[in-house]
Amino acid sequence: QGLDDMDPIEFRLPHTIQRPAVAPSHGPKAHTTRPIVTGTSVVAFKYKDGIIMAADCLASYGSLARYRNEKRLMAVGETTLLGVSGDMSDFQHMQHTLESLLTQEYDMDDGQTLGTKSVYKCISNIMYNRRTKGDPLWNSYVIAGVDNGQKMLGYVDLYGTTYQSTSIATGYGGHLAQPILRRLVEGREDEVTEEEAVQILDECMRVLFYRDARSLSKIRRAKVTAQGVEISEPYTLETNWDFAESITGYGS
Amino acid sequence: MARRYDSRTTIFSPEGRLYQVEYAMEAISHAGTVIGVLSKDGIVLAAERQATSNLLEQSLDNEKIYEMNDNVVAGVAGHAADANTLINQSRAIAQRYLLKYDSPMPVEQLVRRLCDMKQGYTQYGGLRPFGVSFLCAGWDSTFGFQLYQSDPAGNYSSWKAACIGENYSNAQSILKQEYKDEEKEEAGPNVRTVGSQMTMDDALKLTCQVLSKTIDTAKLSSKKLEFATITLKAGKPFIHVYTSTEIDEVLKKYESVIKPADSQ
Repeated sequence: QGLDDMDPIEFRLPHTIQRPAVAPSHGPKAHTTRPIVTGTSVVAFKYKDGIIMAADCLASYGSLARYRNEKRLMAVGETTLLGVSGDMSDFQHMQHTLESLLTQEYDMDDGQTLGTKSVYKCISNIMYNRRTKGDPLWNSYVIAGVDNGQKMLGYVDLYGTTYQSTSIATGYGGHLAQPILRRLVEGREDEVTEEEAVQILDECMRVLFYRDARSLSKIRRAKVTAQGVEISEPYTLETNWDFAESITGYGS
Repeated sequence: MARRYDSRTTIFSPEGRLYQVEYAMEAISHAGTVIGVLSKDGIVLAAERQATSNLLEQSLDNEKIYEMNDNVVAGVAGHAADANTLINQSRAIAQRYLLKYDSPMPVEQLVRRLCDMKQGYTQYGGLRPFGVSFLCAGWDSTFGFQLYQSDPAGNYSSWKAACIGENYSNAQSILKQEYKDEEKEEAGPNVRTVGSQMTMDDALKLTCQVLSKTIDTAKLSSKKLEFATITLKAGKPFIHVYTSTEIDEVLKKYESVIKPADSQ
């Protein structure tokens, strides 16, 4: 289709081309009906120097803890940090799309870079358009970055719903971690130091490991500041299961 | 025997020239002058209207200067109808970018898209080129204030001061002489600006000066002119297209540099 445009006889100047309205028929259209390999919560919040984010290293296959060294946090260019939960194959598709976007930017070679706000808009548009076609990318994204000194933290999901906030958590994180974040971080985002932020984040992830049956204690965290994106190596949270001995009922 | 090679845009002459493109540029050299001057605080665009009549509804008649976007304003020289098509296309391009990326389109990218379109008409399709040159004045957060000149061939370049249309070579040489060229390169955290030593005031003064020398009517008046500036207000680009009253005020303010009619 692209090459047809350059045929000198058929050539129609770019702004006069009208794409055919009818889509080619290859048979029945397959739509995403359910997620298969999935990642659980992503937790993120604004702190003094930027935004901090964490996700565990697990990609589940239903109830099976199948892939235990998975990366659910990614850098988009130098300026934006992306966290994902939901279907991992749909995430990989999004990764390829974002890669193309960055390649286009590189090819243009004009000293301009896409800010976090722009990456956020691109992802939001893709997600909403897919949902409108009834073929969603089954994900929840957390997008973070520092644009011209302004901290930006946003959320987009499979419906195309978007919102921005001081703290964001997807999946179970929305139920278990968000209340902690609201209590400890909301209203004091410029005071929280990196040390404190790491403590708060680890505590949220610990709670999630105790209560989310599809989580793992091996996690990664990342921060994005005016200096750029840094994603840590995986580390394991310390947990205390002593209380288990005192449980009665359910086969004890 | 130029005649043989000038009826189709898509072929070269034996001397390696594209006659249609050159003829387009010739058309522009008879059109109303447009001048642009870059200063460290903004850009001035001024243009001479060729269609003047007491019957024209001045305030609604935009002949030369058009806003492309919140951060780009352009002056056109050449065929008005051709210019309108290109302006409409550019506006749509800029809005599509804003819709897609939630950010104003960088100035150079807009100019480049426009020029790629113009170039297409010199290589494909058997259609004539657009008989329009632009002076695009804009601001973006990476490179600050920029002034671009583009021609029917699809060439574009960035200028500190430029002129298109009638008497442009005359104007260009005056600009070259009078433009305060010493500059300091300033690198801010996100804005890299070439620190021109011209202030907005200097730029307005220079513009008036050059206008008076290149426009060959007896007296400069707001009837004959369109004027616009782009500056920053609260960190955001601000385009001001002057009303005739405001133009008269500018001309009054700098009347010392405007050559009086009798001494011409």
